[in-house]
Amino acid sequence: MKRALPSALSALPAALPAWAITAAALTVLVIVNGLLQPGFFDGTVLQSNLTTFLPLVLVAIGQTYVVLAGDIDLSVGAVAALVNVVTVTVIAATGDGPDAILAGLAAGLAVALACGLVNGLLIGVVGLQPMVATFGTAILFSALALRILPQAGLPVPDAYWQTYGGAVLGLPTVLLILLLAIGFVALLARRPFQTWLKAVGGNRGGAFQSGLDLRRIRLSAYLISALFAGFAALCLTGETASGDPLLGQSLGLGSVSAVALGGTLLSGGVGGAAGSILGALLLGMIGNVIFFAGLPFEYQTLVQGLIVLAALAGGVLVARRR
Amino acid sequence: MTGTPETPALPMPAPTPLGPAIEARDIVKRFGAVQALGNGRLTVGRGEIHALLGANGCGKSTLSKIIAGTHAATAGSLLIEGRPVRFATPREAEAAGIALFYQELSLIPPLSVAANIFLGREPRTRAGFIDRTRLRAETEALIALFGDTAGPGLTPDALVADLTPGQRQIVEILKVLSKSPRIVIMDEATAALDARQVAVFFDILRARRAAGVSTVFISHRLDEVFALCDRVTVMRNGETVADLCIADTDQDSVVRLMIGDVRKAGRRTRADRPAAAPLLQADRVGGGRLRDITLAVAPGEILGLGGLQGQGQSALLRGLFGADPLTAGRLRLDGQPVRIRAPADAVARGIAYVSGDRVADAVLAGRSIFENLAAAVLVRERRWRVGAGTLAPRLAGVAASLKTKYAGLDDAIGTLSGGNQQKVFIARWLATGPRLLLLDDPTKGIDLGAKADLFALIRQLADSGVAIILYSSEEAELLDQSDRILVFNGGAVVTELSGPTLDSFHLTRAAYGDAA
Ligand SMILES: Nc1ncnc2c1ncn2[C@@H]1O[C@H](COP(=O)(O)OP(=O)(O)OP(=O)(O)O)[C@@H](O)[C@H]1O
Ligand SMILES: [Mg+2]
Repeated sequence: MKRALPSALSALPAALPAWAITAAALTVLVIVNGLLQPGFFDGTVLQSNLTTFLPLVLVAIGQTYVVLAGDIDLSVGAVAALVNVVTVTVIAATGDGPDAILAGLAAGLAVALACGLVNGLLIGVVGLQPMVATFGTAILFSALALRILPQAGLPVPDAYWQTYGGAVLGLPTVLLILLLAIGFVALLARRPFQTWLKAVGGNRGGAFQSGLDLRRIRLSAYLISALFAGFAALCLTGETASGDPLLGQSLGLGSVSAVALGGTLLSGGVGGAAGSILGALLLGMIGNVIFFAGLPFEYQTLVQGLIVLAALAGGVLVARRR
Repeated sequence: MTGTPETPALPMPAPTPLGPAIEARDIVKRFGAVQALGNGRLTVGRGEIHALLGANGCGKSTLSKIIAGTHAATAGSLLIEGRPVRFATPREAEAAGIALFYQELSLIPPLSVAANIFLGREPRTRAGFIDRTRLRAETEALIALFGDTAGPGLTPDALVADLTPGQRQIVEILKVLSKSPRIVIMDEATAALDARQVAVFFDILRARRAAGVSTVFISHRLDEVFALCDRVTVMRNGETVADLCIADTDQDSVVRLMIGDVRKAGRRTRADRPAAAPLLQADRVGGGRLRDITLAVAPGEILGLGGLQGQGQSALLRGLFGADPLTAGRLRLDGQPVRIRAPADAVARGIAYVSGDRVADAVLAGRSIFENLAAAVLVRERRWRVGAGTLAPRLAGVAASLKTKYAGLDDAIGTLSGGNQQKVFIARWLATGPRLLLLDDPTKGIDLGAKADLFALIRQLADSGVAIILYSSEEAELLDQSDRILVFNGGAVVTELSGPTLDSFHLTRAAYGDAA
């Protein structure tokens, strides 16, 4: 095995984690973007970029926990759309004061949790295949979103998007949200729960024999995933300032790509959400660089696909050296 | 356990002081159409080490799993310390003080040793985080039970995936012990342990017995059973056929109860033959932990690899098979230099490798018995179309020569008992008609009868000109089968035993180095 690999790769330290390639690629893209886009490192430009990237970062964090347990959640995009339309509808129906906004946020997150509960029950308790079940529920959630708000519209009160685009406690709101998310990831990584997730994904039979409650653990992962899809939806609502039943359709596969780029094995058992944050940022930066390099639109997806493949292959090579 | 349907596992009434630790009565277990247990009975007194014996597929693991809450019985009743119980999950059995060593191990390969041992029972800080300091310290204290017999690399932070099969077995043992159970079931816990590790393990079990712990001990090694156990229950075809006091019986009677008469093969005596040119020569090969290994094996010869577990025997066999890289030295096959970079190279040259570590190396999980049998033949014969019509009878024939017990070739491999799975993997390689057969602790988990059949077959192969290299963690097996033994220590060959030095005394002395 060793001899077949490029010698440059063998020279790297053996303990290199699988997400190292993603981190390196991200660094390169940040530098390239800095050269291509004047003022890239200005506060306002960074904030606007983060605003663009944040929803995928959040969804990817939630997706990580599902993937760690050996499952997958393809419904996150549909959950985001449903949360978005519920939030704007509730706000519109309750007035436009702060109370209305809070009611909208609460209703949105409650709907997200309900979606997660449906997924978790179907997969963890009824025992359906995760891929098929979440594909099915995605259609269901999308249909509900269209039923509630057939066409894009229903602007949210100014206070909503102004707060989201502004600052809280002296920090840009988007940055604060990112920091809170990172804090959540760091705390959860030190709880037994994350070990249990890896156990369920690493050897399901062994996890059961060890006395773990597989149903509860898998269900919890789907709740977290849906909750983060809900957060992402609230962010998207702040960005677009209105409702859109077709919002977030790329979030499902996008988040799975980010998770894989972040070094989490799609078969479960290995990885963590910190890598997924890097993966989501990398995906965002790829879009940015392609745009500022002036590539024709038709090539954007192609180049994006190639870079994702290259980073994944690099990660596999690094992991295989062990 | 329909006999006592009204009795939940919890809450429990106060313990009856007189009841036995385990009393399983008339247990029946069906998996679909397969009846695994017809009449399982087991009574284990308190503070007793009780052997549970029987041929492969007779239902020992199934009965253990019912007691430990992993399987629900189809019928029958179970009393633990005098109280009727019905466990719905392993967690409930654990709460009742029962811990099971799983024959196929319950470990999570990508997690660390410490995380595995305390999975679901992690020590926590007041904030609810994993208390890593305590987790590590408690794991270290457990590993220390095995002292230096644990071998290099068994640390709290090591990943289970990176351990040797023997070390993984130790981790599963420690996981059981860490639960401080009052009742333990050890389902072939010694299968991959060497003599020194077994000795430590037995001391632990005896100390626990002195503290009142009751143990069920399952093993195919009768010497161990007679050295350790107080009583023995024998099963046959899903039925309990005897419950005896060890002092009142002997090995032959027990074997007859288990499987009827076994032909004892005895020591291999080699027919004098003209010294054949070596088939395989290794010249100062190294890589990983291996250093400067030089050996030659001729057609018709059985070369044994001895020494304590994990001294490089498996590493050498895996290297010769191309599964792990050999980075130094040269190999010759029929006198011609060869490089074996991957198992496919080895298979193409007629080399076969039977691993005892079936979970990691052999099992195509979730696939049928037929697919598991055919895997190597398909590579060897470069088949691109599977003619099941001709292949199936041939493979079934090889499997039958080892008395593999299965319902149908299309059943999933996971439905077989541990020993019968191992027979499938041996048959997989025998079916390729190899010229060089590498056996890496091949009898792990197979019963006495099958072992005798296997070695008769291996001797036949040797007599027909196949070269064989055998590693076994069981000393007697190695001494009985080998023409010569290379003794390993620390990744190097320290001695060669043959002729008059081929005995237990010399083997033990060489294996322990100068210390013994
Ligand atoms: N999950 C399952 N599905 C179907 N059949 C099974 C299953 N588990 C066990 N069996 C069958 O039940 C019988 C008893 O198996 P069990 O594993 O208890 O044997 P064992 O006595 O432990 O044998 P060994 O010495 O080989 O470990 C076997 O015939 C086996 O094929
Ligand atoms: Mg068994």
